[in-house]
Amino acid sequence: MITNRKYLVGVFDDEHTLKDAFQKALDKGVVIEEVYTPYPIHEILHGMKNKTNITTAAFFYGLFAVVMLIGGMYYAAVVDWPLHFGGKPFNTFPSFIVVTIVATILTITILTLFTFSARAKIFPGKKEEIIDIRATDDKFIILLDQDKMGIDKPEVTKLFQANGASEVYEKESN
Amino acid sequence: MYKTDVRGKLIDGEKSLSQISQEILAPIDAKVPKWWYIAMGISLVMLALGVKSIYITLTQGIGTWGVNSTVAWGWEIINFVWWIGIGHAGTAFSIFLLILRQKWRTAINRAAEAMTVVAVFCAALFPLMHMGRPWLFFYIFPYPNTRGPLWVNFNSPLFWDFMAISAYLLISASFWYFGMVPDFATIRDTTKSKIKKAIYGFFAFGWVGSSREWLRYEGLAFVLGGIAAVLVVSVHSIVSTDFAVSIEPGWHTTLFPPYFVVGAIFSGFAMVLTLVTLMKKLYKMGDFITENHVDAVCRILVFISLIMGTAYITEIFIAWYSGSEYEMYTFFKNRITGEYAIQFWGMFIFNALLPQLFWSRKVRRNLWVVFVISLFINLGMWFERFNIVVTSLSKNYLPASWAEYHPTFIEIGFFIGTLGMFSAGVLLFFRYIPQIAISEVKMISKYNTQQTDHLKPGHHHDYE
Repeated sequence: MITNRKYLVGVFDDEHTLKDAFQKALDKGVVIEEVYTPYPIHEILHGMKNKTNITTAAFFYGLFAVVMLIGGMYYAAVVDWPLHFGGKPFNTFPSFIVVTIVATILTITILTLFTFSARAKIFPGKKEEIIDIRATDDKFIILLDQDKMGIDKPEVTKLFQANGASEVYEKESN
Repeated sequence: MYKTDVRGKLIDGEKSLSQISQEILAPIDAKVPKWWYIAMGISLVMLALGVKSIYITLTQGIGTWGVNSTVAWGWEIINFVWWIGIGHAGTAFSIFLLILRQKWRTAINRAAEAMTVVAVFCAALFPLMHMGRPWLFFYIFPYPNTRGPLWVNFNSPLFWDFMAISAYLLISASFWYFGMVPDFATIRDTTKSKIKKAIYGFFAFGWVGSSREWLRYEGLAFVLGGIAAVLVVSVHSIVSTDFAVSIEPGWHTTLFPPYFVVGAIFSGFAMVLTLVTLMKKLYKMGDFITENHVDAVCRILVFISLIMGTAYITEIFIAWYSGSEYEMYTFFKNRITGEYAIQFWGMFIFNALLPQLFWSRKVRRNLWVVFVISLFINLGMWFERFNIVVTSLSKNYLPASWAEYHPTFIEIGFFIGTLGMFSAGVLLFFRYIPQIAISEVKMISKYNTQQTDHLKPGHHHDYE
């Protein structure tokens, strides 16, 4: 958050009024800075037009892990230290599959967690930037940046209140 | 789906969102009840016994156990498989029920995941101690070194097992933890205590519930959920290959992987049932874990119990059908009759027959009966592992090498120690962590009123 920005905060009591007001604001061309909710609401996530490629990233982590694991086991069993077991082939591929599956899952998990942590900026020691402290409990918050919202303050206040906002107030970031 | 009248409500009572947070967080803020200290004291005494047994094992060696060269796997492997099985509930609950769109999972998944993490810890201790020189455990890691053949045996199920369990522990722990992050933020923002605000605030990792966070959080849950589902099946399949790739009578069977996986989920769900009945009674979580939730778990248990019964009978049938005298001997002379008949029938009655009582709605709705049956299933699943490990080993092909196995006090103490560790872990969980996933319960609270809009034409399903 950049310092000393003036915000307008709309507070809603439930999911339905939030979704209503959110959609109407979008239709009017209001630029919404952020929405804070106690639980994920798909219409909001969709309407905010943020995109995440975390699933694609996970796929490539998996691909990377599979190649490294099979390659590594092949290297260990065939190139680096081949062992003779009564004429059996060095490359015992089918039995490499089990380790490949398990270790791939582990690699995907760890790397995806790090990706999530980096992209959502959720990490140990982070100072929370709370707009309205009730957003993790029972309130649904729409945050507008007064310089960029693309609508007059009274008009958007009226819009929010007409659609069930329990409070609309101004807030300055520090 | 919970949209029909058949299943009843997800949450009892009309609760506002803030009531949901308050009621779930009540045990964290409330004065710790006396029974908690008593239970914790007993758990710690049990744990101390375990620590002492481990100390004796470490200093004097495996010779202090009752295992011998014929029955080389005793209580340690039984307990290992038993704990791992119990540890399957968390992921099974979170993942399978997520995939099956079962909204009632939200009341139970947190407890199941917590239990999973503790149970897998308990399980991991057994193979570690069974190594004999556990301080050299890092020899199983595949890394370049200067010891003889440089690599571990990638074809060995024991190595697969090591990989599977380490991965399972890490993944279930991180899945559990990230599920809790939004709830920790709720505690941070609602508590009045400054210390709690600081501590839970640290663990909340700066979570504020913005749409950017939720979007990626959902993506993460989708990825972890999708791949951990594979893990539920793979971990116990791999454990079963520890047995199935050997040529011991009673072990060498292709039935083992599905049989073990289903057994693991069975024991895990039974332990979940034990825990949620306790949560309902001791912490008055009955509004969130309703009779309908217990009912749903019981119905699953009936179904799995039928699979277990089928597996037991299949094993016996195949032993006879194969015409192999060793298989015949193991099943008919050493399990069904003979000196291990008690364990066999304990297994069969507790796992395949007793849960059939859950067909009755009256039984499913009687919490005490449900609690007792869930304990018996846990016992039955322990007998199953005893049956598999000890009966096959003690009398195999060569009568000259037959041997008996009796656990020593050290082994019993070790097992009691893990039971203490498990209950201590669960008590800490009850005390310090939201027992139910708050944000998920809030999410499903909108489905709480019994809805009939699925009957309307053109209705589309609003999943999640």
